[in-house]
Amino acid sequence: MAILTASTPVGHELPPVARQFRAEHFKRGDEKTIHTDLEAARREGLPAPVAIGPQVAALLFQQLRMCFEKGWVEGGRCEIVFRRPVFVTDFCVAKGTVTRREEGRDSVRLHCDVWIENQKGDKVVAGTASGVVPHGSDKGIAK
Amino acid sequence: MADTPHRIAEDEAGKRATFDEIEVGQLLGSMEWTPTEAMIDQQCELDLDYHAWFSVDSPWGGRIAPPQISYRPPRWLFSRRYNVRGLFYKWEIENVRPIKAGITLNVSGTLAEKYVKNNREFVVYQVQAVDPDNNVVFRTRRTHVLDFVDRTAPRAGVGLDSGIKSEKI
Repeated sequence: MAILTASTPVGHELPPVARQFRAEHFKRGDEKTIHTDLEAARREGLPAPVAIGPQVAALLFQQLRMCFEKGWVEGGRCEIVFRRPVFVTDFCVAKGTVTRREEGRDSVRLHCDVWIENQKGDKVVAGTASGVVPHGSDKGIAK
Repeated sequence: MADTPHRIAEDEAGKRATFDEIEVGQLLGSMEWTPTEAMIDQQCELDLDYHAWFSVDSPWGGRIAPPQISYRPPRWLFSRRYNVRGLFYKWEIENVRPIKAGITLNVSGTLAEKYVKNNREFVVYQVQAVDPDNNVVFRTRRTHVLDFVDRTAPRAGVGLDSGIKSEKI
């Protein structure tokens, strides 16, 4: 059952999804990359190995799939910016808020601000996302 | 050299593509890509994101992939054309239809734009995937910054990293 429904109001907060990253989460065989090797990262001007962007963004995608279910798989849209590096041992949490309702004939598209914070509370990823929920999807949901 | 700011000039895959060499409008070509159940399993494990639709069955009939599995094929297309590492900056994604195990997708794209901002070089490519009935399955538009280091730094260093990875999830 999707968390968001046709009656979800603007201002509704999306459930946070968190992950403590570890260096081993980014290992791929013996490859030495900016994601796995300190020297490789330093040669590129980075202070330390950085997390693989899509694995960080996956926290948002998991959140959006939980919120919209089918309406994320069919009709989900997202536009995010990786604002600053996420390091391979950072703690990250995806957050979001419903910002706008776009009424359609058979469904409502709910627009959201979404972002990921690190352990310092810095927004390391930020952007917008939307998904669709069918009219009638709030039937039977306890208020 | 180690103490002088510089950008990587080459790596194991050869010379890095420079901003001037990247041609707006360039076709990135196309590829046939068939997600397998093993790929879906691996994507779920990478992301620690599990759902019955990904592992057992779905309303669309059979297992589907987490939509973000669509990340890699467009990157492979980009890497086939240009030896670029850099960092992922912006990601636009539209999930039009579910990505199903065993259904071959045709993935194709173009180099859409390039620009300089905050003294760094950015390139934008866009890709879409269609199923065997020519239905769009996903669209994406990606922006990469070519280097973390400012563009005023000379290209002189040798990277440990390769811009062209094995094409696997």
